[in-house]
Amino acid sequence: MTAALTMRGVRYRYPDTTDYVLDGIDIVVQPGEWLGVVGATNAGKSTFCYAAMGLATEFFHGRLIGEIEVLGTEVRRQTVIERSTRVGMLFQNPFTQVSGARERVDDEVAFGPENHGLEPALVKARVAEALQQVGLSELRDRHPLDLSGGQLQRLALASLLAMHPELLLLDEPTSQLDPGGTKELFEALSRLHAAGVTIVMVEQKLEAVAELCDRVVALAQGRILADGTPARVFNDAAVQQQVGAPIYVRLAESVGLPSPWPTTFETAVRAFNA
Amino acid sequence: MPRGLSIYAEGNSALHRAHPFTKGTLTLVAIAIGFIAPSLAWVIAVAVILLGLLTLADVIRRFVPVALGILLPITLLLLIVQGFANPANRTVFFPLGPLSLYREGLAVALLAAARIFCLISATFLLSFTTRPADLAEAMMQRGLSPRFGYVVQSALQIIPQSLESAARIRDAQRARGLETEGSLLLRARAYLPLLLPLVLSSLVATQERAMALEVRGFGLSVHRYRRVVLPDTGVQRALRWFLVALVPLAIGARFAGWR
Repeated sequence: MTAALTMRGVRYRYPDTTDYVLDGIDIVVQPGEWLGVVGATNAGKSTFCYAAMGLATEFFHGRLIGEIEVLGTEVRRQTVIERSTRVGMLFQNPFTQVSGARERVDDEVAFGPENHGLEPALVKARVAEALQQVGLSELRDRHPLDLSGGQLQRLALASLLAMHPELLLLDEPTSQLDPGGTKELFEALSRLHAAGVTIVMVEQKLEAVAELCDRVVALAQGRILADGTPARVFNDAAVQQQVGAPIYVRLAESVGLPSPWPTTFETAVRAFNA
Repeated sequence: MPRGLSIYAEGNSALHRAHPFTKGTLTLVAIAIGFIAPSLAWVIAVAVILLGLLTLADVIRRFVPVALGILLPITLLLLIVQGFANPANRTVFFPLGPLSLYREGLAVALLAAARIFCLISATFLLSFTTRPADLAEAMMQRGLSPRFGYVVQSALQIIPQSLESAARIRDAQRARGLETEGSLLLRARAYLPLLLPLVLSSLVATQERAMALEVRGFGLSVHRYRRVVLPDTGVQRALRWFLVALVPLAIGARFAGWR
């Protein structure tokens, strides 16, 4: 089976800079996986997404060394617009993802499929399906700018889902959301993951990453510090020191529980009750 | 978050249902004839028709306060300047101490005010009854580049967002002690600390928006289906030609010396 995302010896630096933001990344993401990407500021997390989407080369015009294959196609052999038919990317700021050209939520979701040249009947079906997936069906006739931040981010997600992406790249999608908006978005993503969509999610909320992701990659100075299950990665001493760990890890450590420490709510409850 | 600059008023009148090009043609022709028409009587006739259409579209109550707000100060200024100081002033209409209001100047002022009224009412008739998105879509369906159509559609929503972001930056700087009110010099000095973050944040927002648009396939070279069906009938097409034909007729009438 073709991998969803493959990076081999990837190094990347932005124009007019000398330091490589990604510095020797080797990773294979399998279809259906939910990969969490964590790291401190300037670890290269957003650039990881930009590189996978092709924006790093096509939009920022930086220097890329190594190979990146997205759904079997080398990233430099396709434009971002062409890739948008199979790969979606969600950015941090929900307000800049609204096209600004549509006055209804459902019209906004239709923007992408229409750009892809889909027939109106198919666009309508896709829009209804995407709004259902993110729980925004009831708000379909509202103006996009009347929505809350969390609703707007779910609208941005629905706008990608209507294009039926096989791979979703999420660059800190909850960084500007309140707890309610964050919960709504994670619930929508969980449903998508259950439906088989491959997700690569850069996220600072380590508890959520540990709860939701199948696998976690910790980045530091553009290199992979650790790669594995959330339990393994967040029990790594180097990760704990440079990236941090879910609160349960620090709590278990501070009360003297033996390692490996729990990384999720459920495992923490079991560990503390034992 | 502000919705946008659009002042479209929901409705189901014949004007709301008409094709955007029909309303656009009506607007342009009404403005043109208002300015070409040789006498006040003709301009008033155009203004009365426009008022009738605004009433038909059920937007007259929204139009009146807007029109008064724009037109009253302009008319007052015209009456004062032209009434007192038009070089053609000969016949005293109303003596006011050492000064006098003249009939010739007042006539010029009234004609100019009536023309401005036609301009305002025709423009608002289009704006109240046409969604900007529909107008841009109609233009794209007639060959306008989707990129240009997007600029037209998005500008109306993005400009208010930028204004709000400017207000946020101003408040943030004021909270940090920057004085933004007072003399002209003080306000000018406050300009730079406001401008720099605004320009930078606008550039970042523009960059993110451009990336988000690419990710949503904007600009993909494929056949795009019509987004909305904008009904355009033979009657409407004929009406547009009729309206356009009125312009050379008005020019001819003016040159023929009609009053």
